[in-house]
Amino acid sequence: MQKRVVFRSRLLPYLLVLPQIAITVAFFFWPSYQALESSFFIEDAFGFSREWVWLENYYELFRDPGYLKSFRTTLVFGFSVAFLAMAISLILAVAANRVIKAATGYRTLLIWPYAVAPALAGVIWYFLMNPSLGIVAYWLKGIGVEWNHYVNGDQALLLVVVAAAWKQVSYNFLFFLAGLQSIPKSLIEAAAIDRAGPMRRFWSITFPLLTPTTFFLLVVNLVYAFFDTFALIHATTEGGPADATSILVFRVYNTGFIGQDYGSSAAQSVILMGMVILMTFIQFRYVERKVQY
Amino acid sequence: MVENRPILTFLTHAILIVGVLFLCFPVWMALVASTHGPGALSQSPIPLWFGDQAWENYSQLLAGGLPEAGGVPIGMMMFNSLIMALVITFGKIVISILSAYAIVYFRFPFRMGFFWMIFITLMLPVEVRILPTFDVVVKMGLLNTYAGLTIPLIASATATFLFRQFFLTIPDELVEAARIDRAGPIRFFKDILLPLSRTNIAALFIILFIYGWNQYLWPLLITTDESLYTVVMGIQRMVNSGEALPVWHYIMGTAVLAMIPPVLVVVLMQKLFVKGLVESEK
Amino acid sequence: MATLNIKSLGKTYPGGVTAVSDVNADIADGEFIVLVGPSGCGKSTILRMIAGLEGITTGDLQIGERRVNDLEPGERDIAMVFQNYALYPHMSVRGNMEYGLKNEGLPKDQIATRIAEAARTLRLEEYLDRKPAQLSGGQRQRVAMGRAIVRDPKVFLFDEPLSNLDAKLRTQLRAELKALHQRLGATFIYVTHDQVEAMSLADRIIIMNAGRVEQIGTPMDLYLRPASRFVADFIGSPAMNVVEGTVTEDRRGLLVDGSRDIRFAGEIPASAGAKVAMGIRPEHLSLDATGAAQFHLEVDFVEQLGADTVVHGKVSGTSVPLAVRLSGVQQHASGEVLELGCGADQLHLFDLSSGQRLN
Repeated sequence: MQKRVVFRSRLLPYLLVLPQIAITVAFFFWPSYQALESSFFIEDAFGFSREWVWLENYYELFRDPGYLKSFRTTLVFGFSVAFLAMAISLILAVAANRVIKAATGYRTLLIWPYAVAPALAGVIWYFLMNPSLGIVAYWLKGIGVEWNHYVNGDQALLLVVVAAAWKQVSYNFLFFLAGLQSIPKSLIEAAAIDRAGPMRRFWSITFPLLTPTTFFLLVVNLVYAFFDTFALIHATTEGGPADATSILVFRVYNTGFIGQDYGSSAAQSVILMGMVILMTFIQFRYVERKVQY
Repeated sequence: MVENRPILTFLTHAILIVGVLFLCFPVWMALVASTHGPGALSQSPIPLWFGDQAWENYSQLLAGGLPEAGGVPIGMMMFNSLIMALVITFGKIVISILSAYAIVYFRFPFRMGFFWMIFITLMLPVEVRILPTFDVVVKMGLLNTYAGLTIPLIASATATFLFRQFFLTIPDELVEAARIDRAGPIRFFKDILLPLSRTNIAALFIILFIYGWNQYLWPLLITTDESLYTVVMGIQRMVNSGEALPVWHYIMGTAVLAMIPPVLVVVLMQKLFVKGLVESEK
Repeated sequence: MATLNIKSLGKTYPGGVTAVSDVNADIADGEFIVLVGPSGCGKSTILRMIAGLEGITTGDLQIGERRVNDLEPGERDIAMVFQNYALYPHMSVRGNMEYGLKNEGLPKDQIATRIAEAARTLRLEEYLDRKPAQLSGGQRQRVAMGRAIVRDPKVFLFDEPLSNLDAKLRTQLRAELKALHQRLGATFIYVTHDQVEAMSLADRIIIMNAGRVEQIGTPMDLYLRPASRFVADFIGSPAMNVVEGTVTEDRRGLLVDGSRDIRFAGEIPASAGAKVAMGIRPEHLSLDATGAAQFHLEVDFVEQLGADTVVHGKVSGTSVPLAVRLSGVQQHASGEVLELGCGADQLHLFDLSSGQRLN
């Protein structure tokens, strides 16, 4: 945590942390406090008066079927993205870990989508799946699937899931690959001597040893899907059709900026903050465990 | 690998090739679409190979701009993106390395308090507290300024942790030797710590540049003045252009332009990128 | 070059742990002092307090008559060589050596002269533009010394500088260090846990245990008249034999293991019935059983070292271990009983509870 020898200086350390702390207070703590405060008020549309309503905004939210549906949509979306992105990247990482020839070539081709902004990933998939001229929609029609995400909510959700997972595969791939490379070769060799075939070796040795990586990625992927995909949804489906892709973080924005309902938006912010805090906490508990591992 | 089975090797390569195709195909289509005129993209199926409109499309985008997107040339949006990404990146690196230095190498009242304050920002992504943060920026009069676009995104717990982690691995004896060599805190930072952090700074630079370049929601809110639009957020105006049909060849061209800088950074500095990514998340 | 005066020096950490207490020593100009003791005894803490890397809780520290308690390390006119060398990895050998001089604001030509001189002394001329990572362990060690030498300090501090090297190199560098000390004539303070290093290098040794000084003296003082059982145990290899027992009624014998006794020619300087520990170095026992004390050794096994033979066994009829070092090659079978003796001045008697020397 700290060095044995430290410099003696009264003022300098404060000057050094000042910029970071000033920005943190101005743009993190103050707004978060504001969110917490306004979640207890109902404000009229013009901002002239506001009334202290205790937990009314929260009650209102949980009575609102739209909000509850959004909760469900978020969970379905988040876990689908996490599962899809992790499954694909695990298969690719296991394959890449076997390859000796052209390993760097494959790696380069597999990691670049990390750099693609979620918004762009969304827009490109939106184009590919466009019902009237998207090439993938055309192929789907060829096998008898009628694709129209402008109308069909489930298809719209599937579209954003695929786009979000597509972008996240690279990230997961790198971590799975690093995890696989840190498994001692001697363990796999010992299993081979014990007559375990490749599949059995994977499920009985490799996969259990990857558990820390898998768990870490699960949390990271959920956080990504819950919060970072705002851009993806905003740039494509805009939450529609009929709120089918309106995840919580999108709703915070919509309620606040489009609906101008500050109290409700603030209450939603507070709930989301609670979720992030919980997930960060879980992640750090895991990090602690990993240290002992 | 442990044993040599040709079938397995074949399967391995097959899986990897399918994976590469899955990841590359969408961008391939974007590239192809951006080289066609509106005619080729009006009927299904659209072509899978390049057209001959690349020059016209890209020069129109870079210099001319589109009425649907407020008529701002994409070149200008990219310039804004670059400024935003660089300011965020440098800002984050500078304030993070300074605060990590203070926290690791000094002992002062509220040291741990500051540490936890920085730590907690991990838990407050901008999307979550968007409205009140926007209010603060409005009250400070920073709407439609580069300052408003970048400063609120500069605080970084991740970078601070990475530097702290790295500083803790530097042997204590190095500071002691420096102190015996009459180096004070500022000299030690400048002559020893900074040069030793070069690789970490470079690796972080890549991650943070991508983070900055790809910002979407924040520029969307802060910039109403079209001359400040960034490219990642500007594309949205073209897609959701209301009544008019989206002009896909321009949209895809913009998407390609918008992803070139960060993708180039990742591909060209692959080694550093992997190191930075895997280590910053530890 | 300067004297160094340590007056009732103590160090207590904020948590309440006392690392060092009441250390007194007057070190003469040009002396080679070795601080030795087991790990955690406080020897490194003293060195670090002298360097200014660790605050002084109580007492005074003077370098060349000047009180330096509150001076920064850079202002104390000392130089230090660290165990892991602590070379700046991103600087060349030259950069490492000149860093302190630059910070001091020395003119360029003087810096160049000093570095050239030190490089010649340490045979580092051809490595001046290399980075530390390109050097071998021994070379890095010499660069660390060079960094100290160029500063021309009043006092050189060494914190276990040889312990990261292999045995052969260590012996070689030990000799070089001794030669360097003679050439520079500066005051050296050297910390080690290796008693061989301490014996071979020091003018005087300060031997420490649990934060206190056990004894200060020349290597031969410590070897011939250890002030406590701890010192007796620590110095010498193989370790000194220690036989615990009770002084008999006539004060001419030691009752060991309740029954058997060891007889002495003279009187034991302790009251009858007192519990004492008696030490005899293995090399001071001989097969001539006519000395001041006689022992019967029941042989367990024999170590042939070539020049000597170390016979391990027990005091006959007891379970008290005893070893003897005999010169040349000697053959003894397990179970054989040897009659041994030693001179009166080679017997060391310590109080069993306090460990202090009695004779």
